[in-house]
Amino acid sequence: MRVLVLFAHPCAESFSAALKDTVTGTLRKRGWDVDLCDLYAEGFDPVLTADERRGYHAVPANCMPVQGYVDRLRAAEALVFVFPVWNFGFPAILKGFIDRVFLPGVSFRLEDGLVAPNLTNIRRMAAVTTYGATPWRAWLAGNPPKAVVKRALWYVARPDKLRYMALYDMNRATDGQRRRYLVAVQREMERF
Amino acid sequence: MKALVVYCHPKDGSFNAAVRDLVLTKLRAAGADVRLCDLYARGFQPVLTTTEWEGYLDCPANCAPVDRDVADLRWCDTLIFVYPTWWYGLPAMLKGWLDRVMLPDVAFLMPDGKNRTIRSGLGHISRLGVFTTCGASFWLTKLVGSPGRRTLMWGVGLLLARGSRKVFAAHYLMDSSTEESRKAHLARVASRMDRLIGRRVAIDAPRMQAEAAE
Repeated sequence: MRVLVLFAHPCAESFSAALKDTVTGTLRKRGWDVDLCDLYAEGFDPVLTADERRGYHAVPANCMPVQGYVDRLRAAEALVFVFPVWNFGFPAILKGFIDRVFLPGVSFRLEDGLVAPNLTNIRRMAAVTTYGATPWRAWLAGNPPKAVVKRALWYVARPDKLRYMALYDMNRATDGQRRRYLVAVQREMERF
Repeated sequence: MKALVVYCHPKDGSFNAAVRDLVLTKLRAAGADVRLCDLYARGFQPVLTTTEWEGYLDCPANCAPVDRDVADLRWCDTLIFVYPTWWYGLPAMLKGWLDRVMLPDVAFLMPDGKNRTIRSGLGHISRLGVFTTCGASFWLTKLVGSPGRRTLMWGVGLLLARGSRKVFAAHYLMDSSTEESRKAHLARVASRMDRLIGRRVAIDAPRMQAEAAE
């Protein structure tokens, strides 16, 4: 199984980096072919340009500015997002990956003006994340990243399995809670 | 009234630019002081850097990389966003503005010994306007949970003064919009702006942009 791990955190010593290491380590131990895409380390530019906006619907020329990333996404059979939730959403660098790489002709097709799934090579999908907010506060704000993963991204891939894992209230989490979350992520990846 | 208008669209002549111009006209006609933050025109860099992350809690030094934006945010009492909805949410450019500018001790106060959770830091802002365009239909957007609208109306909205006035308008199904639907939307934006300002502000009929898209 080939998996693309999209990781979005600037610091190597962060808890998000520990989550990423748990995900990639566990999957490699199972013999999976892991393609780690560390967006910060690769210097990914998340800004969709005016030219890209003009050519957004021109399949397949629209892929050219991000062809390497499109190829990696198409080669994957599983997709795992590892990111912290900032201001009730994805870090900009990850939101920009979705804006620029999840293009028409890649992640979806437009058929008679309706969106049809086109990322069906992805059979398993997971998000592993942390929130500063309490679950109650995240719910109050409508939990936007969860909605995008579980509904919008689910729709274009229709994976057999989709998991959304979150540790809320990070700023007050104890070492024990963080350790337990790492173990839960490891267990999930062993079954994934 | 001191209004900060945060505008995010890559193309000149887009429909979002027409919405922005209408918003600015209304504000100026109402006698408001206006500051426009055009993120693409400025070449704003939306990626929160390693250095910024390491110094995230170090107030007030954390404001230094975005001091102009922090000053604008502290200055205004009215905050307005004009942007296209991409993937049900904010363009990365605008999301990155929130990531980098909505800092501890600016937008919110971190939990401390006395307070168990995050508290609001934008109590000086009492009006919020959100104007967007969506490729998806109204019902599909609802079904997904309107992540973009909620990020701003609820996420950012929770940080403002209690009882703030909030208005929202979206043009759905933007890819099949007609001149008529765009005109109707501009009229909707105009009436939402009146509600936000608190009275009817007369202006000349808004100029239509030639371009159809977004």
